[in-house]
Amino acid sequence: MSDKNKGLSKAQEIYLNRSQRARELKAAGKKIIGYPCVYVPLEMLTALDLVPYRTCGAIKEPVTEADRALPSSFCPIMRNCLDCALKGKNDFLDGMATIHSCDPQEKTAHVWESYTNYPYFHFIDMPSTVRPEALEYFKSQLNDFRKTLEAFTGKKLSTDKLEAAIKSHNQQRTLVRELYELTKPSPPRISGTEIVQVVKALMSLPVVEGNDLLTEVISEAKNRTDGPEKESARLLIWGSILDDTDIMQVFEAKANVVMDESCGGIRAYRAEVKFTADPLEGLADYYLKEITCARTFRQATLGETRKDYARDLQSRFGYLKGIIKEWKINGAIMLLVRYCDPFAFEIPSLKDYFGGLGVPSTYIEYDYTTGALAPLRTRVEAFLETIS
Amino acid sequence: MVVEKGKKTINRLKSMYPLRAKVNETYLKSVEAIQAGKPAVWGMLNFYYGDPVLKAMDIEVVYPENYGAIAAATGVAQQYLERADADGFPSHLCGYSLTTLGYASRMMKELNGQIPPEAPFGGMPKPLFLMSSAAICDARYKWFQALGRYMDAPVWTLEAPTPGVKEFFIEGYYDSMVDLGVKHLRDFVAFVEGMVGKKMDWDKLDKTTNLMIEINRVWHEVNELRKAKPCPMHSRDFWSAMPAALFLAGDLEDSLRLYQNMYKEVKDRVNSHLGAIPEEKYRLVFAELPPWHSLGFFDKLAERGWNFVVESFGYRPPIPIDLSKVSDPLERITRFSLQFFAGYYEDARKQNVLGGAFAYPYLKYAREWKCDGALLHPLISCRSASTHLPYVADMLMEELKVPSLSIEGDIVDLRLFNPEDALAKAEPFEETMEHYRKIRKQAGFDW
Amino acid sequence: MTKVVLMDESNNLLSTIKGPTGPEHRQLANEVMRQALEQASLQINDISYIVATGYGRLNVPFADRQITELSCHARGVSSLFPNVRTAIDIGGQDAKCMKIANGRLTSFVMNDKCAAGTGRFLEVTAAALGIKLEDMGDISLQATKKIQISNLCTIFAQQEVVALLSRGEKLENILAGLHDALASRIAALARRLGIEPDLVLTGGVVKNTGMVRAMKESLGCEILVPEEPLLTGALGAAILAKEIYMKAAAGGEALPTKSRRLEKATFFSSEHR
Repeated sequence: MSDKNKGLSKAQEIYLNRSQRARELKAAGKKIIGYPCVYVPLEMLTALDLVPYRTCGAIKEPVTEADRALPSSFCPIMRNCLDCALKGKNDFLDGMATIHSCDPQEKTAHVWESYTNYPYFHFIDMPSTVRPEALEYFKSQLNDFRKTLEAFTGKKLSTDKLEAAIKSHNQQRTLVRELYELTKPSPPRISGTEIVQVVKALMSLPVVEGNDLLTEVISEAKNRTDGPEKESARLLIWGSILDDTDIMQVFEAKANVVMDESCGGIRAYRAEVKFTADPLEGLADYYLKEITCARTFRQATLGETRKDYARDLQSRFGYLKGIIKEWKINGAIMLLVRYCDPFAFEIPSLKDYFGGLGVPSTYIEYDYTTGALAPLRTRVEAFLETIS
Repeated sequence: MVVEKGKKTINRLKSMYPLRAKVNETYLKSVEAIQAGKPAVWGMLNFYYGDPVLKAMDIEVVYPENYGAIAAATGVAQQYLERADADGFPSHLCGYSLTTLGYASRMMKELNGQIPPEAPFGGMPKPLFLMSSAAICDARYKWFQALGRYMDAPVWTLEAPTPGVKEFFIEGYYDSMVDLGVKHLRDFVAFVEGMVGKKMDWDKLDKTTNLMIEINRVWHEVNELRKAKPCPMHSRDFWSAMPAALFLAGDLEDSLRLYQNMYKEVKDRVNSHLGAIPEEKYRLVFAELPPWHSLGFFDKLAERGWNFVVESFGYRPPIPIDLSKVSDPLERITRFSLQFFAGYYEDARKQNVLGGAFAYPYLKYAREWKCDGALLHPLISCRSASTHLPYVADMLMEELKVPSLSIEGDIVDLRLFNPEDALAKAEPFEETMEHYRKIRKQAGFDW
Repeated sequence: MTKVVLMDESNNLLSTIKGPTGPEHRQLANEVMRQALEQASLQINDISYIVATGYGRLNVPFADRQITELSCHARGVSSLFPNVRTAIDIGGQDAKCMKIANGRLTSFVMNDKCAAGTGRFLEVTAAALGIKLEDMGDISLQATKKIQISNLCTIFAQQEVVALLSRGEKLENILAGLHDALASRIAALARRLGIEPDLVLTGGVVKNTGMVRAMKESLGCEILVPEEPLLTGALGAAILAKEIYMKAAAGGEALPTKSRRLEKATFFSSEHR
């Protein structure tokens, strides 16, 4: 890793060669644990001096190996992820921590474990609701995760270490939110494309190094004179994951993407883990409740939905209201990956919600291949033309 | 054995007919009761978890997943699919969910809550509440949540833990699953009591639970008998007889008697070496959901000597478990429901088959029922019933040298299953099965 | 197809050209532009503002601005039919549905992934049946029986229609069935936006009388059709170009334009490296 690169150029460098730092650390004796989903509590890895590394798909990579294990009508992102793994691109990993966030994550995890041979592999189950007993179950799942991690590392996951890790990861969340403050002005001080690179970089580095990078980037963005051009359209992109600059650039060709509400953007950083007597409790609470992925079943009050449809929408999507207001968003794109069920079911309701707030929205589907970019471009441009 | 002209090749069990009829009768009785004003609930298949609670409270349950199949078979689904499409639901979603969403849209937006006149078999009434389940796939609870757009019926999502095979054996894991299940169910009972305005009859729940467990135990034994050569009972009988057990249809004492009769009949066939088809040349395992609307297809295969001896993990009774010492019915229900998946984990771990709960059972089935081949039926809009199939094919070949034939279809777009094409693939597959029989012999397998 | 519309500030059409497209978008753009200028007796420098639209819109080096075909169609259609609320364009490669209010695009939905929902479906099946695409419509109007084409996929539908023919089904009935199949897919697309009159149909498919019949049936409403169904996109682009230019001129704004050169295009041009 070159020393001369700092801030945004460093983020870009890492984005283009994601595994380099992890490989360096591995060569220096560290253990690297891959994770395919932001629901995995990274604090527990950090606390045991393991380096978390997000395993991602690669839009330019044609899927060839995954066919023997997963059918083609399946989340193209997870299929792509598995394909990369089967091609040996993740061979530097010492293990994987997987989780039952959605079906494709669950099914891919087991197939992944069957077809590879890492020294460590753990699957965390996660309940579908946020009820008290569900939370308790999830906490016991994290406790089991702790057990296998301890067995693997030969170290104890003490409360001190965990609290220190939570502090560092909370710090990262705070810094990412600070970074997003910089997209509030018009024009924003940093582009959606640049943020994709930064977040991807964060998911490729140990947390402390990621925090340093963020600090550099924030300072650079505040002081720069070469920021993004002002565009009249200020977009919110809502979806499962938007972590690729080619895709982001389609949106930013004629708009400012000021908020990426996906797990390639702000989703994993919106809130903080609370400190609790048993840290696992705070972690369980944060991860199950605060991550706004459509896979979690939330409703207004116990057992209420249409009784007050507006209230139900508010309980599911209300967090977007503040975002839309504060970031002066004038267009929302619901970006759906083909075969994604949890997000797909939300589309009409979310459209109702945006409509209620007076925000024009459109739903665009893509299939995570480079062939998807041209149709994506037409739809994005047409949408921008309708809101200009 | 001479096959008479006009007679179906598959020798159906006499005891199947009353079980199949029971489900139809129960359904029609339910429709009548609902029309007479009894509250109805829309439910998802929940693997013995929520159903006993509703049954003990004497609540009518309507299953949109089943109704989706009916709508598809009667040709009525198309207009509901179009409505769901027009309402903005992406087209890749589960066909049953789109059918129900379109149906709900029509019923509530166009007909003010009245059952659509074109809906077959009495349709589905506006429900008191919706009971969904997180088991099997995300669509099953997200879909009921999406229905909130059309109906003011509250939604309860039944939790369904899904452990990994290795992780299941971590100390304390199983207990935490039971803990979750019991607490959750207790809250569910309170919710239902609030919705219907009456208290749970715990005695009735106790009895219902016991009957449910015993029915499934007998039903499990019936299917164990199918390991015999020739196999006395065809998959068609399984699919016809299964709903009564899976959905706790009607009077459970009556069901228990019927399954006991079935056991006797199958046992008799085993003793007289009577097979379900005249000449059993090939023994097949089928995964996952059958083409409900084209079951005659299996008769054509039976003419070629294909006997389907084991099938559809998703519909099978749990491996029996002794719960006699568990006093709390909610705990018995929880443990029994968990047993549906967990019953296989010990074996799966021993065999080191990690590929998810749905995959391992097929290894067991193919081995213990001595299958020559697997017929796999991926369904384009039901991913949860299709995702494990490539893995199953791989696993069966690698571990047991059992080949698989894949024939596509869909749950609501019935045009996608082409019986002629499927039959055309049968002949060459017979050669494949013969070939692998030789390979298995060489490798020391005993079938 | 590559089309050009040249227009003056009073919306008079000075020339219209339709030329077949090939892989060399850039060369084609130059060629049809040349023809259009000739037809109008103009030089390239006489053109005040140029808007490019459609798939190849990024490959028109002398275009001042690119606007999607959706907005352009909406504009073009509403200039011809002022009360239009819904527009459907069925091309050889895609199908677009547009909602229009006050002459502007408000929402849209398109299919550019599956051939079975585009004009290509008819091209392929016509070829399979050995008849000319331009005859399909008229023959289909003689149908006496409803036939359902069950295959969702163009490739498999080819086989299906041949099988139907060999089973003795009448050609006109099969053709009607094909038109119905395509129409129902496009109608489903349109229903996502909500169908409101006036409804205008454009695209090459409009010249197919059988398709217009099938669309009327599937949509359940009256359909308006322009005289030149292939030019509404280019027409709309010209109108938008005029509007952009006039607005800038009225406000005294400088409007950036591309160099007015019709160079001999090569595959790699320095402007588009």
